[in-house]
Amino acid sequence: MRQIPDGTSLRTGEAWTIAFTYFTVAITVSLVHSTAGTPTWVIIAATLLVNSATATLAYAAVTAAGGSAAAGVAGGWLTSTRFGVLAAALAPRLWPQRWKRALAAFSAFDPNIALANREDDDRNVRRVYVAMSLWLVLPWWLGASLGAVIGDLVSDPNALGMDAMFPALFIAIIRPQLTTQRARLIAFSGALIALALVEILPGGLPFLFAALPALFALRHNENSGR
Amino acid sequence: MLTWGVVAVLAVGVYGQRALGMALINPNRISDRSRQVLAMVPLSILCAVTALQTFSTQGALVVDARVAGLAAAAALSWKRAPMFVVVMVAAAVTAAVRLI
Repeated sequence: MRQIPDGTSLRTGEAWTIAFTYFTVAITVSLVHSTAGTPTWVIIAATLLVNSATATLAYAAVTAAGGSAAAGVAGGWLTSTRFGVLAAALAPRLWPQRWKRALAAFSAFDPNIALANREDDDRNVRRVYVAMSLWLVLPWWLGASLGAVIGDLVSDPNALGMDAMFPALFIAIIRPQLTTQRARLIAFSGALIALALVEILPGGLPFLFAALPALFALRHNENSGR
Repeated sequence: MLTWGVVAVLAVGVYGQRALGMALINPNRISDRSRQVLAMVPLSILCAVTALQTFSTQGALVVDARVAGLAAAAALSWKRAPMFVVVMVAAAVTAAVRLI
């Protein structure tokens, strides 16, 4: 398998940028856990096995605020529900064999699903998904391990603007998809719903409701008669 | 603080949700209409994640230095700047605003 599959829309610059961003963010996530007193090996195991920054950070946030471990786990599960929905969204374009999809589920993140979904041909969807999963997960593990080992060398990651890296990466991924009025409507509605619900619903649930504007895909199709 | 037990429970729960999403859909038996809707779900959710990571912290709406960084990122994206430039400028602008 090639690192960048031929004949797909995936570009080398995109792959490197996503790798770099996940590497950097993984370091900062490890630092957060490290300052909360989590032992180095547990941080590394959490990164490898849970494979979700939002889930482990939600746990850390809930318990740091005085919540019980059970409440922390519930918070972690809730924040990662969007990965299930994202996985379901890409599933029809992945392998027909269930075991292959179950294997692929382990690395269901936002960028690899978004970039794989961009392909027109289902065969390329699979190639981009596999390639991007590796481009993302390997730096993710590497960064997390490094962050766990160097501990508190970087005292305040946010002072370096690292909390702006994930959303900036997502903007760069979203932008080329906003070519039609339908896509812009769906994007804007998704963001608006999440913002409207964030203070009302527990973490993660706003993302589930934010998936609903995808239904606009049907309405527009009927109108344009495509 | 994470413990081995918490890591195990989180790992099972998070993988379970991902696998459930993948297994729930049978690619051989899914209508074109469902396909059209599912194809737009990642865009919708990605926008929601971006919005919340820009304007909220731990479940509360917050306007801070990130907004400046992400505004710069949006402007650069519109000008079709390379992804790497977009990410680095967002971090730099956010850091600069925090410094002031």
